[in-house]
Amino acid sequence: MKHKNRLHLTTLWRVIPALLIAGIVFNGCTALKEAQQRREKRILEERNASTLMLKRPNATIDAQSGKSDHYTLKFAEDLQGHPDFDEAAEREEFTHNALIYMESLYEAMHELFGFQPKHKIHVTLHDAYRGNRLAAFTSTEYRSGMSDGRYVKFIKSIHMDFPMQMYEKHGVRVHELTHAFTNIYYIPVWFSEGIAVLIQTEYAQGGLHPKFDGLQGAFLRVDLDGVNQLESWGGHTENSPLTQWRYRYAYTLVSELRKKYGHDFYIRVFELMEADGLHQRLAGNMKTSFLVYYFSQAAGEDLVPFFRKLHFRVRKLTKEDILKQIEMDSQNRRQ
Amino acid sequence: MRAKFSVPRICTSFLLGLMCLCYGCVIGQKWSQNYALLPGVTASDPAFIDNKLETIGQSQRKKSSGSAITDLEIPSEAIIHLPGKKSIYRIEIHSTNLEEFEVQAFNSRGEWEKIYDQRTNKDRVIDIRLSKVATTSGIKVVVRRTTEDAGLRRKNIQLDRENVETSDGRRRRGRYVYHLKGPTTALAKIAEIKLYGYATAVSDQSSAE
Repeated sequence: MKHKNRLHLTTLWRVIPALLIAGIVFNGCTALKEAQQRREKRILEERNASTLMLKRPNATIDAQSGKSDHYTLKFAEDLQGHPDFDEAAEREEFTHNALIYMESLYEAMHELFGFQPKHKIHVTLHDAYRGNRLAAFTSTEYRSGMSDGRYVKFIKSIHMDFPMQMYEKHGVRVHELTHAFTNIYYIPVWFSEGIAVLIQTEYAQGGLHPKFDGLQGAFLRVDLDGVNQLESWGGHTENSPLTQWRYRYAYTLVSELRKKYGHDFYIRVFELMEADGLHQRLAGNMKTSFLVYYFSQAAGEDLVPFFRKLHFRVRKLTKEDILKQIEMDSQNRRQ
Repeated sequence: MRAKFSVPRICTSFLLGLMCLCYGCVIGQKWSQNYALLPGVTASDPAFIDNKLETIGQSQRKKSSGSAITDLEIPSEAIIHLPGKKSIYRIEIHSTNLEEFEVQAFNSRGEWEKIYDQRTNKDRVIDIRLSKVATTSGIKVVVRRTTEDAGLRRKNIQLDRENVETSDGRRRRGRYVYHLKGPTTALAKIAEIKLYGYATAVSDQSSAE
C-alpha cells in the first residue's frame, strides 16, 4: 500500500512539470498566434489603405436614361458624333458601366468623408469641354434666400463635366467627385483643391502633383503683401504660372495636417461644420480664418500660429466673431 | 486455418478500391463558390465583382509620373481584395482584349508575388488552374499587352515634320520626328474576375456567413 502511494506521488511529480511545460508551450503558441493575427491585420490595413478599392454598388441603375441613385449621366452632342459613341447601344453600355463605377466611388467617398451631398450629381461627358480635352470641371450651383429671417444658401445642383479623355483617368474621377462632396461647404479654393489632390493621390494613386519636402523656406511663395500665394487662388480655371505650385503646395499642406492630426482629421472638420451649419449663412465662400477655426477645434489646439508661420492672413476667431460677421452681412444685405 | 488467396478476388477488390478513391477525389474537388462575390470584397473596378458579364470594367494605371513618355512603361492593373485569406486554385478572367498578362497574389509579407503569367491569349474566358495553391487576401492582374495596343500606337504615335521658324519669320520644313499624342497601351476590358478554391464544409460555412 505504502509502495503504491509512493508510486502515485512519483507519477504526480513527473506529471506536474510536464503539464507546466505543456502549459508554457501552449501559452507561447497562443501568444505567437495572436502576434501573427496582429501582423496579418496590420498588413491587411496597409493593403487597404494603399489603394482606393470599390465595393459592388447597392444602387438601382437605369442605363436607358442614364440614371442611378446618386447620378444622372449624359453624352454631350460633340461626343455623340464620336465613332465610339455614335450608336445608342454603345452609349447605353458605357453609361451602365460608368454608373456602376461612379456609384461605388460615391459610397467610398461617403465612407471617407462621413457625409454625402443631398443632391443628385449630373455628369456630362464631352469630347472636348470649353475647347479643352485636358480639364474636367465640377461646378456647384447654389441659390440664396431668407429662411426664418436669416440669409441662407442652398445647393441647387452639382454638375460634373468631363472630356472623355479625362473621364478615362480614374484619378480625375476621384478628384472631381471630391469637389462634388466638399464644395457643398463653400470651402476656400486652396483647401478644396488640396483635399481633392490628397484623395486622388493617396487613395486613388492617380495624382500628378507630387508633394513638396516642406512648407517653408524655398517651398513657400508669397505675394507683394507678404501673403501666401495660395490665398488668392481663384481655382483651376485660372491660367497662372503659379498653378502647378499651388496644387503641390495645397496638397502638401493638407496632407501635413492629416499626418499630424490623424486620418480622421478631415472627417472631424466636416462633422463640426455640418453640426454648426454656419457655412450656409456666410456670404460668398468661406475665409481661411473661418476654416482654421474648425481645423483648430478638430485638432484640439490653436492652429492660427501654424498658418501665420506659412504667411496666411488669418486671425483667431471665436464662434461669436463668426456669428457677429454673419449678422453684419445680413444687415448690409437688408439695407 | 490458412487463408486462401484468390487472385481474381484481390484484383476485383483493388479495382473497386481504386474506383472509390477516384470517386472520392472527384467529389472532394468540387469548386467552391466564387470568392469574389463574398461580402466585403472590393475591386479596383466594381464591374469585376458584380457577377454580371454585361458590365465591363477597366484595368487602371495606378502609378503616374506626370510624364507621358515615362508612363508608357507603366502597366495597368486590375485588383481584387478579399476580406480575409482564401486558398485559390482557379482564376477565371472574362476579358475581350487581354492578351499578355501576369497574375500576382498578395503574400503574408505584404508584397505582390507573381503566381502565373501568360504570354498569348485569344480566348474571351481565360480559365487558369494554378499548379500551386495561392493562399492570399488579394489578387492582381498586371496587364502587359492587349489586342487594342497596336491600333492605339498607330493612332497616338505620329510621324510629323519638326518645322522651324527662321529669324525672318518664315517656316522652314524640318526633319521628321515621332510625336506622342496619347497613351500607346490600352486598358484591359474585364467583365468579371472569378476566384475559386475547393469546396469544403468549412469554407461553405464561412462563405455563408
